[in-house]
Amino acid sequence: MTLSKKVVFLGHFGVGKTSLFRRFIDNEFSEEYKVTLGVQIKKKVVVLPDGRELSMIIWDTEGHSDSVQDTRKSYLLGSHAFIYVFDVTREDTYKNLNKDLEYLKKTYTKVTTKVIGNKLDLVNEKEITSHLKEMEIPIDCLTSAKTNKNVQNFFSDLAEEITK
Amino acid sequence: MEKYPNHIQFDQKNQLTTVSFDGIIKETDGTLFDWKIGVSIYDIHPFFEILKSFIEDYDPSNAEFSFPCIHFDSEQTEKICDVIIKLDLNEIAIVLFDYTIKYKEHNEIAQQKNESILLSRELELKNKFLLEKEEFKNSFIANINHEIRTPLTSILGFVEVLEKTQLTFEQEELARIIKRESHHLNALVDDMIDISKIESGTLKVVEERFSLASLINGFRESYSKIAEEKQLAFDINIDSSIQEYIIGDRTRLYQILNNLLNNAFKFTEEGRVTLSITKNYQRTNKLSLNFKIEDTGIGILEENIPHLFERFTRFNLDRQISGTGLGLAIVKNLVDLFNGEIKVDSQPEKGTTFNLKLPFKFEITKATASPQRKKKKYKLPENKGKFRILLVEDEEITQYLIMKILISQGTFFVDIAINGQEAIQYIERRKYDLILMDLTVSKIDGFQTTNMIRNNYGDKFISEIPIIGFSGKAGEATKDKCIRSGMDDFIPKPFEQEDLLYKITRQIAKKAAD
Repeated sequence: MTLSKKVVFLGHFGVGKTSLFRRFIDNEFSEEYKVTLGVQIKKKVVVLPDGRELSMIIWDTEGHSDSVQDTRKSYLLGSHAFIYVFDVTREDTYKNLNKDLEYLKKTYTKVTTKVIGNKLDLVNEKEITSHLKEMEIPIDCLTSAKTNKNVQNFFSDLAEEITK
Repeated sequence: MEKYPNHIQFDQKNQLTTVSFDGIIKETDGTLFDWKIGVSIYDIHPFFEILKSFIEDYDPSNAEFSFPCIHFDSEQTEKICDVIIKLDLNEIAIVLFDYTIKYKEHNEIAQQKNESILLSRELELKNKFLLEKEEFKNSFIANINHEIRTPLTSILGFVEVLEKTQLTFEQEELARIIKRESHHLNALVDDMIDISKIESGTLKVVEERFSLASLINGFRESYSKIAEEKQLAFDINIDSSIQEYIIGDRTRLYQILNNLLNNAFKFTEEGRVTLSITKNYQRTNKLSLNFKIEDTGIGILEENIPHLFERFTRFNLDRQISGTGLGLAIVKNLVDLFNGEIKVDSQPEKGTTFNLKLPFKFEITKATASPQRKKKKYKLPENKGKFRILLVEDEEITQYLIMKILISQGTFFVDIAINGQEAIQYIERRKYDLILMDLTVSKIDGFQTTNMIRNNYGDKFISEIPIIGFSGKAGEATKDKCIRSGMDDFIPKPFEQEDLLYKITRQIAKKAAD
């Protein structure tokens, strides 16, 4: 039987959630910014290292402009993982990240939460890593939906983690 | 279906579907989507996977869920619906409300709003990037300036030493070419620094009282020589009603006029060059002057005139005529800094006229003429024999050059310290008449070393030794920093032998007179 897990993208608007979603699901990328209203849901089946199949149900939610608490609560029901995405070129998308994470971890105690800094292609990786370290931003992965850097690996690792 | 009449009371299209707990569609009205009875709802759209968790955690007291704005894509169409899911003991009811039109309208507004925020952020970032680039460029130019001036000092210095030896006519000519090209390179560095300062907005126009007549006389002296060599006439006409002393930036005015006169002489082979200065207007203490620089030279093609003030523009490609292509760009920028105007008229083979309008001020009270500043002559004290100089310099080539210049005078002993620490050891062991201090030596730099000499010793023979700083970092700011740190004078690299000897003699003579 195929396992099924719900994964929700969260984060400010314009950080590249839909781009990561499209890159992971369809391996596509578009430079054009299109706002997401509400939520788009797609499924991707991945094969786990032990041969089992996992159906990842990815919810690409509308970006918030202030706090993750602005996201509709019903979208988060039944989630197995949250992927909090921020834009490495926009500090306003990660300056309150720790507060958002605290809220998520406190409210959704059983849900795995991962943090992605996206748009890595626009910055120097060393510089941004040390800047984020200075700001005490806990990142799990830096990605570029545009170049596909680290995207597939991130989802493979996540799939493994949520099926353990 | 009859159990859910309340769900069918809105104007928008909606669809009611009932599903069994194993996910099989029991009934559907098919208003929005043509779903088939008996098919698993989980195969229709991944959204419905959510039902699994509701079934798993079924709680009759909390069995209704609403989801706004869910995108349902099918091959034919995309619908954006609000969804209500209600569970009871027997089945699951799903109601879809089609709000596609309303949400698409919202979408457009959100798109515009977000785009404008993202665009402004992008512009901020671009601006930041440009500022960082500018900063990098300026520091690069400042560093390269230092790196170029240091070897240039050696080249110019050694050519001067070479010129004083027995040379054949051919060797003399070669030495002259090296000197000319080195001066040209030095001028290029100066121009680059100016352009960089203008672009970064750090070049400021200063106001000082100065003698316009004396400035113009300087041009008369220097360009008459060139005019004579090229057999050209050089006329200067000044409106006699213009005040002798005016207030403005003398250095920058000199730079503007010098650039234009230099070009006029460079591109004129016969005829004349004329500099005319007239009064445009005078109100209260404000004065507007017109400067006209006319030549009968090769002129400029009409199509080239609009590009005349662009950087690195050279229309005359004759390599015999030197130039950086920056001169007129600097002139235009300086004139703009003055809030002045510059116009050019030119005809090929007939000549070029630059018309400048520049604002100045003058003192309304009767001006007392400042005495003409002439280079005072100094002599080394005669009763002392030789003078001991400590040269603090880490570059061997500059050490050798200065040694050569000083020792050839026959009146100096020279010791060399390669850093500030060594300099301190030397002055504690020996009495020196003067220290020549490179500002950028290692361990302890020139400023710190000077500070230690001035403040750490009760012995006046040490604490009052005249110190002349030198550096490839030319400019008033460096000189000011030297004086503030306790040095007595500063000489920028590359220096002329005569200037170096003049400054050394002056400091030793002044100290002896105290």
